[in-house]
Amino acid sequence: MELGDKIIDSATEIFSSMVMMEVSVIGDFLSELPPLEDCISGVIGLAGKSRGVLAIHIPKAVAMAITGSFLGMDVDEMNEDVDDAVGELANMLGGDIKSVLSVKGKDIDLSLPTTISGRLYDFQSTKATERIIVPFSCPAGNFTIEVQIEQ
Amino acid sequence: MGKNVLLVDDSSTMRKIIGRSLRQAGIEFDNIYEAADGLEALDVLEANDVDIVLSDINMPNMDGISFLREKASRDGIKDIPVLMISTETGDDIIGEAKSLGALGAIKKPFTPDKVNEVLGPLL
Repeated sequence: MELGDKIIDSATEIFSSMVMMEVSVIGDFLSELPPLEDCISGVIGLAGKSRGVLAIHIPKAVAMAITGSFLGMDVDEMNEDVDDAVGELANMLGGDIKSVLSVKGKDIDLSLPTTISGRLYDFQSTKATERIIVPFSCPAGNFTIEVQIEQ
Repeated sequence: MGKNVLLVDDSSTMRKIIGRSLRQAGIEFDNIYEAADGLEALDVLEANDVDIVLSDINMPNMDGISFLREKASRDGIKDIPVLMISTETGDDIIGEAKSLGALGAIKKPFTPDKVNEVLGPLL
């Protein structure tokens, strides 16, 4: 399965079964990402046979709504619940991407998930990578998931 | 006497989701203990009566595999059953977990039905 298709399948399953939201892809895959404005990014690294990073970029307002649906409670401020929920989304997405790149699982290691947030920031690799960016829509708004694999 | 469960995951969100899934699956525990990594889990097991552990693999400080290895070396807690709940479901990793005593694994993401299907027969 191609990475882009795996991202779509994985996000659809995660959001449907655990976040209790349906997601859909908006248009074509992207190759570049504009600067991220008032967003939070959940990031997980892959090391070993394939090296790279998976990230989910979510506007803060959307991230709060997703976290609220995930936890079944109202979330009206950026707090550690939002950080944790966005990190866990990256973790689950990373696990699924790893299953495409490594059938048995021991030749690729996943890092612990981390989050980045800010008013305006770029998310770029300093190395040449194959980059797949998938734009999604959910009832709370839009977000993107990307995978960068070192070439 | 009811049963007690220990949830081991570095994500507080995931611990809440697992607890909610247990309730939605109709699986009731008297006490739900929580730990954020393998080291905390060992402390909880040493201090409480726990009937089953649901543990993540990829965690800081002490991961799920190291937790299983250390638990197996301690007489007082080595026989407490453990089920892995993880994004890590490769054959090699799950095989290693089973060789260290894990009963099986539930892949994240999961549904309450899946939790019930795997955990129910173990209780």
